[in-house]
Amino acid sequence: MNDSLFSLLNYGIYGTAILVILIGLYGALVKKSLLKIVIGLSVIDSGLNFLIVALDYYKGGTAPIFSLGYLNGTDKLMVDPVPQALVLTAIVIGFGVTAVALSLVIRLYRHHGTLNIDEIKDLKW
Amino acid sequence: MVGTPVLFVAIPLLAAFLIPLLGMIWKELVRIVPGLVLTYLLILSINLLNYVLVHGPIVEVIAGWVPPIGINLVFSAFSGFLVTLIIFLGFIVWLYSYRFKRNVDFEPAKKYFLLLMMLITGSVGIVLTGDIFNMFVFIEITGISGYALTAFYTGRNSAEASFKYIFLGSLASAFLLLAIMIIYSQLGTLNMADISSKIHLMKPVYKITSLIFFITALGIEAEIFPLNGWAPDAYTEAPGPVGAAFAGIVVKASVYAIIRYIYTIFDMSGSFDLLIILGMITLIVAETAAIRQNKLKRMLAYSSIGQMGLVFVAFGFGTEEGVFAALFLMFNHAIIKSLLFLSGSYLVYNSKDKFIHEASGMGKYLPITSFLFALGAFAIVGLPPFAGFWSKLAVLTAAADSHMLLIIALVLIVSVVELVYYLRVVNRIYFFKKEDHVQATRPSYNGMFAMLILGVIILVIGFYPDAITGILHKASADLMDKSKYIQDVLSLNQ
Amino acid sequence: MKKFIVIILLAVLGGYTANIFFDIGFGEPHFVQGVKPVKDIYLSETVSNLNVSNTVTAIVVNFRGFDTLGEVTVLFLAVTALGSILYKRRHQVGKRSVMFSASSIVTSGSKLIFPAIVLLGAYVFIHGHLSPGGGFQGGVIIATGFLLMLLAYENFSIGHNALSIIESLAGITFAGVGLMGFIGGGTFLENFLPTGILNNLFSGGVIPIIYIAVGFKVAAELTGVIYTVLHEKGEVNE
Repeated sequence: MNDSLFSLLNYGIYGTAILVILIGLYGALVKKSLLKIVIGLSVIDSGLNFLIVALDYYKGGTAPIFSLGYLNGTDKLMVDPVPQALVLTAIVIGFGVTAVALSLVIRLYRHHGTLNIDEIKDLKW
Repeated sequence: MVGTPVLFVAIPLLAAFLIPLLGMIWKELVRIVPGLVLTYLLILSINLLNYVLVHGPIVEVIAGWVPPIGINLVFSAFSGFLVTLIIFLGFIVWLYSYRFKRNVDFEPAKKYFLLLMMLITGSVGIVLTGDIFNMFVFIEITGISGYALTAFYTGRNSAEASFKYIFLGSLASAFLLLAIMIIYSQLGTLNMADISSKIHLMKPVYKITSLIFFITALGIEAEIFPLNGWAPDAYTEAPGPVGAAFAGIVVKASVYAIIRYIYTIFDMSGSFDLLIILGMITLIVAETAAIRQNKLKRMLAYSSIGQMGLVFVAFGFGTEEGVFAALFLMFNHAIIKSLLFLSGSYLVYNSKDKFIHEASGMGKYLPITSFLFALGAFAIVGLPPFAGFWSKLAVLTAAADSHMLLIIALVLIVSVVELVYYLRVVNRIYFFKKEDHVQATRPSYNGMFAMLILGVIILVIGFYPDAITGILHKASADLMDKSKYIQDVLSLNQ
Repeated sequence: MKKFIVIILLAVLGGYTANIFFDIGFGEPHFVQGVKPVKDIYLSETVSNLNVSNTVTAIVVNFRGFDTLGEVTVLFLAVTALGSILYKRRHQVGKRSVMFSASSIVTSGSKLIFPAIVLLGAYVFIHGHLSPGGGFQGGVIIATGFLLMLLAYENFSIGHNALSIIESLAGITFAGVGLMGFIGGGTFLENFLPTGILNNLFSGGVIPIIYIAVGFKVAAELTGVIYTVLHEKGEVNE
C-alpha cells in the first residue's frame, strides 16, 4: 500500500471509530425509549474498543504469536499486544454492565408498562 | 505481620465465590462468612498500618513481575489509612444490616451480603492499586455492586434511581478508558509510578486532554457538580446501610483516585485552582439544595455532596496543612455521616416516602437512636467539643495560611446553613408530637451496637483529637512526597 | 432544540478527540522519544521465561493476571446483580414465554450442530496459549451453543443449581491457584509449575489451568444470564 493511501487510512480508521462513539452518545442522550438508550451505551463501548485496538497496529506487523515459523520474534515486526489484552477485559466488563442495564429496563417495564422515559420520571431530577 | 496487601482483595474474592456453595449447606453461613472476612481484614489492616507507620510503605508485586512490567499494590501511610477506614466502616455496615428489612429472607440476603462485600473490596482495590488500568477494573467492580444494591428494594423508584446511576456510570467508564489509552499511546506504560516519572515528556495538549477526561470520569463517581445527578436518588432509594456505605466508602475511594492523579501522576499546579473552583461550586449548590428538601435521606445525601465539595477545596490548597485538613474532614465525614444514615434509617423506618415530618416526636419512643442522630448532627455542623469542630478548624487554618479569605467566609456561611437544616430535624424529633399513623420500630441489638460504636468514636475524637492527628500528619506528608512514591515502587526493578 | 444542542456539543467533543488521535498517528510507532515501552519486554519474556506462544494470553493471565481476576469478578457480580434485580419468589416464576415455536429445520439442525459448537469452544479455550483465543472466547462460543438449543427447544432446561456450582468451583480454582503462588516464597498468581517446551499443549505452567477454569466460568455464567432473562413472564403489575 503506498503511503498516501495509508495516510488516508489514518483519518479513516480513527474517524470511523470516533463517529461510532458519537452515534452511541447521541442515541444515549437524545432518544426517548429506554431500550434505545441502553443500545446507545453498548454502541459507545463498541466504538471505544475499536478505537483502542486501532492504536496498536504497526504497518507491516503481524500477530504477536510465536508459532513454529516465527520463533525469533525479531526478524518480523509484531504489533503491540498490550491494547489487545486491555480490550479483552473492557469487552467483558462492557457486557456485564449492559446485562445489568437491561435487567433494570425489564424491571421498569414490569412496573410502568411503557418504555418511554418521559413517563417514568417519578423522581425529581 | 499477619499477611500481605493482596489478601485484602484475594480473601474476599475467594469468600465471594464460596458463598453460593456454602449457602446450600447452612443458610446462616451466608450472613456469618462476610463478617468473618471483614473481621480478619480489619485486624490485618490495623497490623499493616502500624508496621507502615514505623517502617515505611509496603510495595507488593503480583505474579512475580516487578513494576513496570507487572502490577503492584502500594500500602503506604496514606493509602493504608484509607483502607483501614473503609474496612472499619464496612464492618459496621455489616453488623448493622445483619437482619434488616428485606434481607431476612435467604435469597435476597445471599445476594445482599455478596454485593456488600464486593463493594468494600472494590473500594479497597481502588485505594491500594498502583496501576491505572487495574484501577479502572476495580471502579467497575464497585460500580456494578452499587447499581445492584441501589435497586435492592422491589419498589418502582429504586429501579429508576439505579438506571440513572448506571447511565452516568457507563459514561464515566467510557471517558476513563479514553484517558488511559491516550496516556498509554504516548508513554507505553500503565504503571502509576512509571507514568509520573515520565510525564514531563508528553506534549502538553495530550496531558491536558487526558486530565480533563480523567476528572470528568472520576468526578461522576465522586459527585462533583454538575456530574452528581445520580447521587441524591441513589442515596434515597438504596437501603439505609447501603446509603451509609456509599457516603462513607465509595465516595472516599473515588476522591482518593482523583487526588492520586492530580498530586502524584500529573503534578500540574494549575489543576489545584480547578479543584478549588469545582469544590466551591459543589458546596454552594449542594447546601442550598439541602435546605429545600423534605425527605430525610435526600437531605442527608445533598449534605454529603456538599461536604465532599469542601474536601476538594481543602485538597486544592496544595499545601500539607490543606491535605491534613482534607484527610481529617474525610475521616470525620465518613464516621459521622454513616451514623446519621444508620440512625436516620430507624427514625423513618416504617414510612414509605421518608418525609422528615414523619420523624416527629421520635425522641420519646426511640431515645437512644434520637440522641445518636442529634450527636451526629451537632458533630457534623462543627460545634465544639464534637469531632467535626476540629476538622473545620483545620480547614480554616489551612485557608488562612494560604491567604484565601473568601474560603473562610464561605465555610462559615455554609456552617450556619447546615446548622439550620440539621437543627430543624432535631427540633422535630424532640419537640413535636408523634404523628398518628406512623409507628416506631426499635432497632435490633446489632444495629444499636453498631451505632453506639460510631457514637463513641465521635465523642472520643471530639474530646481528644490527638488520637488521630498523628496518623493524619504522617499520611499527608506521605501524599505530598511524590519522588518518594516513585522511588519506592521503581526501586524494585533491580 | 435539545437535539440541536446535543449535536453541537457532540461535534465539538468529536472534533477535539479526533484531532488528538490524528496527531497520534496510525500504524507508526507513536511512543515518545527515549521511553522504553512495556511491550518489548512482554514480547521478549514470553518465549524465554514462560514458554507460551500467544503473547496476549501471557499478558492476560500472567503479567496482568490481577486484571483478569477482577474481570472474572465483574462477570460474577453481573450475574448476581441480574438475579437480585429480577428476583421473584418461587411460586411466581413463569414458564418461558415463547412467541413462535421453532421450525423443524431449526430443531433437527441444532441437535446436530450443538456438539460441534461445544467442541469448538472447548478447543479454543484449551489451546488458548498456543493460538489466538482463550478462556473468554471459548466460553462465549459454548454459551452460543446453549443459546441455540434454548431457542430451538421450548423445554430444554439446564439445572440452575448445576450452573451455580460450576461457576463457584471455577472461581475458587482461579483464586486458589493464585493463593497457591505463595508456595515457595513467591507472590500472588506467580507461576509455580514447570513451564515445559514451547508449542506443546502442556506448556506455560499455570496458564492453561487458569484459562480452562475461566472458560468454564464464562460459559456457565453466560448461559445463566440467558436462562434468567428467558424466564420472564410478560405481564405488567405494580
